[in-house]
Amino acid sequence: MLLLATYASSHEALRAEQILKAAGLQVELIPVPRQVKSSCGFCLLVDVQDHGHLLQESGAKGLWRVKEPEPGQYRRNYEPHL
Amino acid sequence: MNPICRVLDARGLPCPQPLILARKALAEGGFDMLEITVDDPASRENLLKFAAYAKCQVEEERVEGAQCRLRLTPSGASSPQAGEIPTCASAPEAGRAAVVLIAADGIGQGDLDLARLLMRGFLYTLTESEHLPRRVILMNSGVRLAIKGSGSLANLKKLEDRGVEILSCGTCLEFYKLTDTLAVGGITNMYEIAGHLLEGPTVSIG
Repeated sequence: MLLLATYASSHEALRAEQILKAAGLQVELIPVPRQVKSSCGFCLLVDVQDHGHLLQESGAKGLWRVKEPEPGQYRRNYEPHL
Repeated sequence: MNPICRVLDARGLPCPQPLILARKALAEGGFDMLEITVDDPASRENLLKFAAYAKCQVEEERVEGAQCRLRLTPSGASSPQAGEIPTCASAPEAGRAAVVLIAADGIGQGDLDLARLLMRGFLYTLTESEHLPRRVILMNSGVRLAIKGSGSLANLKKLEDRGVEILSCGTCLEFYKLTDTLAVGGITNMYEIAGHLLEGPTVSIG
């Protein structure tokens, strides 16, 4: 499952990227989408598979579910993830 | 009567010298076929593009390693004048950037990590944009974005899949010794870059 994780600062997002990559997860650092609330401008798209706990440990402040764009659209959508 | 062949040896010449020689020879004329030997991939690509633009038939012969011999036969229609630059046929949509010029692998001065982070973010955001430029041109350290292992490679490929032409400066790739690791798009030269930049609205970043 693809989740978007927000962090308190860009530094934390960068650090979390390293941690999650080292754990073998697919991670992409992206600017925080308009729909997503975060105190920092960058966040991570993470293919968590069954390693959800790693996100908590990486210091994520918020988690969002990712909806891929419909055909002909290019923007992903996001919903809060409990 | 045997066709008149003009032979140019452009081996060892840095890009864009081989292209300049070919353009000059073609403008001068006086032959049926131009044979030019080059030994770097960027010059080869430039010449192939130039040949297509100048409506020449091309025959290619691999010599050894990166060396190859290109035989250009002008179609006889109109040979291009020196100074004429290949331009794209279609006009850009009004008010939209035709070209995004990326002249560094990061955005702005200051901390390098932050600059690179911003550039990655910018390229991701472009992939989500409805309106795309016709071309993304990478120069100087900007070419690092298009090589194997770059954090922006997947996003540049996405842009390419959506029809954006990704072009890296051949001189820059060669300068940073990255020519062999280019992983998306094509190699271009200063003539083409200047032509593209003058062709329509350009956004410069980096």
